[in-house]
Amino acid sequence: MAMDNDTVHLKPNHLASVHQSRNTKHSKRRLHEIYELPLPVVCHPLPALIPHNPLSILRIAYVVVSGLIWPQSSHPSALFRGSLSTITQSVHITDAKAIRALWEKGFFGKGSLSRSDPSWLAREKRRLGLMAAQTSEDNTRARRVERRQMKYERALKEREAIEEQLREEAKKDGSLSSVVDTTGNFACVETATHENVPSEEDISTSSPGKQPGQHVPKIAMNGHDISELPFEPPVRGTVMVPEDIDDEELGLANEEHLQLSLEETFFLVFGLGILEVFPEDKSDPLTAPELFDLCRSLSYYPAASATLLAPDDPFLVKYIVYHHFRSLGWVVRHGNKFSVDFLLYNRGPVFSHAEFAIMILPSYSHPHWRSTVELTAKVDEKERRDWWWFHCINRVQAHVRKTLVLVYVDIPPPSAINIAPGETRNIGSVLKQYRVREFVLRRWLMNRSRD
Amino acid sequence: MADIDEDTMELPGAVNGDIDLSDETQDFRFLNVLNFTGGTDVKIPKRGEKDFEPHKTSLQSSTLAASREAMHNALSTPRVHKPKAHQIAVYDPHSNMAHIEHTKGSYTASMGIHKAGKLWLLPEEALHLLERGDLDVRWTVHEDTHEVNDRTHESGGIPMSLQGAYAAFIGMERAEGRRLTLEMYTVYSALKRGGYTVMRSEDWSDTRPPIDTSCAPKNGTSFLLNTWLGRLFFGSSPVPSEGYAVGPLVRPGLYRSYKDIYRLLNIVSTHNPTAPPSFSLPSDIENPFRLTYNVWKPNSNFKKRAPPPPDFRICVIDARNTPVPTLSQLNDLIVTTPYDPPQKDKSLEQSMKHGHRNVVLAVVDQVNGAEREAEDVDVDEDDEPPLLSVYIARRYGELRCNFRVTGINLNRVTPINLGPIHK
Repeated sequence: MAMDNDTVHLKPNHLASVHQSRNTKHSKRRLHEIYELPLPVVCHPLPALIPHNPLSILRIAYVVVSGLIWPQSSHPSALFRGSLSTITQSVHITDAKAIRALWEKGFFGKGSLSRSDPSWLAREKRRLGLMAAQTSEDNTRARRVERRQMKYERALKEREAIEEQLREEAKKDGSLSSVVDTTGNFACVETATHENVPSEEDISTSSPGKQPGQHVPKIAMNGHDISELPFEPPVRGTVMVPEDIDDEELGLANEEHLQLSLEETFFLVFGLGILEVFPEDKSDPLTAPELFDLCRSLSYYPAASATLLAPDDPFLVKYIVYHHFRSLGWVVRHGNKFSVDFLLYNRGPVFSHAEFAIMILPSYSHPHWRSTVELTAKVDEKERRDWWWFHCINRVQAHVRKTLVLVYVDIPPPSAINIAPGETRNIGSVLKQYRVREFVLRRWLMNRSRD
Repeated sequence: MADIDEDTMELPGAVNGDIDLSDETQDFRFLNVLNFTGGTDVKIPKRGEKDFEPHKTSLQSSTLAASREAMHNALSTPRVHKPKAHQIAVYDPHSNMAHIEHTKGSYTASMGIHKAGKLWLLPEEALHLLERGDLDVRWTVHEDTHEVNDRTHESGGIPMSLQGAYAAFIGMERAEGRRLTLEMYTVYSALKRGGYTVMRSEDWSDTRPPIDTSCAPKNGTSFLLNTWLGRLFFGSSPVPSEGYAVGPLVRPGLYRSYKDIYRLLNIVSTHNPTAPPSFSLPSDIENPFRLTYNVWKPNSNFKKRAPPPPDFRICVIDARNTPVPTLSQLNDLIVTTPYDPPQKDKSLEQSMKHGHRNVVLAVVDQVNGAEREAEDVDVDEDDEPPLLSVYIARRYGELRCNFRVTGINLNRVTPINLGPIHK
């Protein structure tokens, strides 16, 4: 029960929710403005060519010529800077502008103190009563409170119906004593004095939901054990907000940074070229081949030395899939909380739920992997997944309504990606050695497939 | 008190991003109700909700009793052969099939093969009819021993018991190729009971069926238009080889559209669904990933002589002995199904999910694998093996799970699959 105990209650509950729903239409439009760009690279499209309007040609010519005189660039003027943290296997971005840019344009990384969107500062301000904006965490909490209230009321109703039924049956039987015997928990007079049942004071202190003036049902007043109900009435916090207070006055500094996973980092460095990564003890940024080998060795625990790198490094296989789906236009985020490797969002997590859940399966179909008996045994072990494992994964995905996609990554032999010492690695040609193939697997229900 | 299950009830389209199951803080105040210090009567506090809870009203208990009564009534009805529909079939040990001379009933529309004036039933068909009580299968009479007793009348043999039928029909085929397994029969009878029409797949005995290599024509011209013409007019420089080796793939510069950027990023090769399919593993008689049954929906106009294309193709898998398929296994299975591209009028998301080929995997998890191994022992026809345990295991221990596998391509930049442009 995540309750903000220090919130001040100034508005009644229902007023707050009305206020909220009026804002949604407006805020949806704002979301499309904020998260307009799919990548942290800005495109400058030419004006549309309209054949029957000669002016449109002039307009195109103007844009082209002005582009020649004042050269534009799609990339930001200065590269974003991140520092590599080997302990957390992530790259930290601390510059506020870079954080906003990476999150709003393509949803890269997550706030170190937040669920995803780096919103710790906003939450903190709200908690201190400085800001009215709702963060996504607040929305979730409000939703949970609402649901709990609903369940509480439903449970009360059910309980009343049962009591009524019992009373009727007792009337029919004609003796009160039998009711007490058969009902046990629901009895009225005797249980109230029982030592295990908390008194009225205990109840009101142990359940923070008891607000003065709140409707307290009759059965609870009868000495009924309210702790029997599985749901407590919730508290809803509403804050009256004084606007326009400077953050600096309160000495509120942002203690949150953006964490980029290794896959995201390498995509921003190698794919888009808008990030430079500094190791913890150096002042020179890592080159892409250096970062490539470093990420691969970090994907082992303990970190492997560069000589042991294999074509099926966890980082390499994951990066192939990450890069693949990014290049197909998906917003790719890690899927740890649904026990898969990645989640694919159509435009981003603020717009809709993830559509697809990606499970990576390395595949060793190249003849090299079957060349010796030991290698075959080793590879068979790596490829083997039993159906119970699969049932677990599928169960979770079905529950959260995602489409499970098995992504097989065909692993090339080591000779295809290894390099001689001293040679610089050609990352592009390494990535091209891998093949990716997707399959959707979902339950087929006999009773629902008849037509 | 995480209301975890309710969290997932959110429908897609909610503005608020993801479902989160983790940011619940623990609150242990509910433990105050417990009295640990004395007394034996410690009540465990209630958490969550139950669909059905005993609440000691006589209304509830009488409803329960009535329901139980109804179930007992249904179960205690004796199941007998109806005299009108009583049919006798004779078991043929050589083909492990059963044949009927005079057929009655509607099942002939979707079962059996007419040969030499008789209807020959496949093992699973005979077993299914026998289990349903529609068929009385008789053991054949040995010519050398003329032990015709009272029980054997006009058609000769002794009636086959259900246990005997399981022993005889499952795994006993003498012919080369595949044998009926208990898993296959489980799937067969479940589908039949569900109203489907089920036939053995065309390549039941082929280890390497011929595959249809004719596919949709490639979009050659539009591919060219998209990459070459597009680049000519909307100016994006191709990646120089240096950027390709050490990055970045998207060089700093001016880009007119995101399509260009995505095309530059696209270097991982993927499966082309329109390419002619091919097998990737050598032919193997033990390969478990082969089509088992063709399945038609109940209301389809099925004709035994000229069956329409099946609605589903099913591969039956024993979960105990066969793990999740590898890429090669899945490829070799799915190329034996026909090319089935999404319709043009579907939305991008629907057509992505539809995919290009599909197959249904029926994953059957029987409890006693060890018992089943013993079945392969050759059993004499007139000697009934103790198969009761297998039968019980099938009834209580079966866990069937069907999955539909679809080969897909998740390209949301453009419906045309852009190939990698760097050679």
